[in-house]
Amino acid sequence: MYQNKKAGTIGIIITIIILILIVIFSNGESNTAFFENAASNLVMPIQNGLTYLKNKISGNNTFFTDINNLQQENEELKQKNSELEQSLRELENIRTENETLKEYLNLTEKYGEYNTIPGYVINKDISNYSKTIVINLGSNDGVAENMTVIADQGLVGYVISVTDTTAKVQTIVDTASSVSCIMSSNDESIVCKGTMDDSSTLKAMYIPTDSNIAQGESIETSGLGGIYPKGIHVGTVTKVTNTQNLTDRYATVETAVDFDKLNTVLVITNK
Amino acid sequence: MKKLVINLFLILTIFIIYFLQSNFFNWFNIAGVMPNVFIIFVLFIGLFTNKTVGTAYGVVIGLILDLLFSQKIGIQAVTLGLVGFLAAIFDKNFSKDSRMTIMLMVLGSTVIVEVLNYLLAYMFININVEIVNFVKILAIEVIYNMILTIIIYPLIQKFGYDIENEYKGNKILTRYF
Repeated sequence: MYQNKKAGTIGIIITIIILILIVIFSNGESNTAFFENAASNLVMPIQNGLTYLKNKISGNNTFFTDINNLQQENEELKQKNSELEQSLRELENIRTENETLKEYLNLTEKYGEYNTIPGYVINKDISNYSKTIVINLGSNDGVAENMTVIADQGLVGYVISVTDTTAKVQTIVDTASSVSCIMSSNDESIVCKGTMDDSSTLKAMYIPTDSNIAQGESIETSGLGGIYPKGIHVGTVTKVTNTQNLTDRYATVETAVDFDKLNTVLVITNK
Repeated sequence: MKKLVINLFLILTIFIIYFLQSNFFNWFNIAGVMPNVFIIFVLFIGLFTNKTVGTAYGVVIGLILDLLFSQKIGIQAVTLGLVGFLAAIFDKNFSKDSRMTIMLMVLGSTVIVEVLNYLLAYMFININVEIVNFVKILAIEVIYNMILTIIIYPLIQKFGYDIENEYKGNKILTRYF
């Protein structure tokens, strides 16, 4: 109220700019390409002009034309190389797509015995510390508490409360969630708990001391505990952390479902 | 009559903040962490009205958030209500004319709300405790809230004193000394 008004406005504008920059740079490099392009566009014409002038002045044009040719050839080769890499990547993509499609087929076979209702995610938690979602199915659609919610990739969570038209779902990545799981290769049981770290990782604890858990191991629900049915895919082990004590080692499990992009879900109405 | 207009305006603001929080800040976040504008809003109401109104707004907003997302009803109602109550105490002891004091109040109330929320959640929902991650997220959230306070401070001042005149009337003397 008693401050200089102009200085205040400038301060606010600077703060907004700083905030936008923090947000951009804290969320990975996806947005920086634009700035890099802008910077190079700003500098390159001048750079080219200066190089041309320098070449003219020093007089030995042939040498530089040779270099230019070589550069051109080099660029062509590089382009070819990148094209080849591109096609390789495409092939790789097609291969993984093929694998996931095959996986889907298996999943539908596996989940065929359950009656499911499809629904949409209509709201996500606005708190930083819990990860519940709200879906557009309620008691009118036959959804009740403690029903399991899945997506086509795997387990999502379970219904904690219902209204007539909506249901609150506690996801498996919520910090209050613990899922009893088994490793699909050797059927040994572990418990997957949600973490605050990330929206797609679980911490697998209580690993039996004599079991050898490895990266890439597929994890599914065990059916113990009474909420989740047996045999629903949860995720894959990405990292095993050994501590000094063998009893409290843990594994990081990457969930099959991408919770940031989760849109459609299925509610299992029978068990 | 004017009080009615003010309250309608405040309720409208609740909806605006809700949609900002659930859509805009979901995308415009710092390393995945959203700010909590509701804390700033309840603090602001408590600062410029009185204890009762501040606490009432805190409890109502908290209850709405609990009903929408939470597993146990009442946790956020208690903590946000506490912020409304604390704001009235802040008002008696500190000046509202300085940006710095408001920022420090936001810092204090954000820490109090989130730590209490976490403790209550630990007691009633039985969450898996991760202190390091919690402190990390809390630190970013506090910084984000303080940056937002700097930006909306002129708004707070402009509307704040109008509301204060209506609610406290002639009782405000401190501003004239």
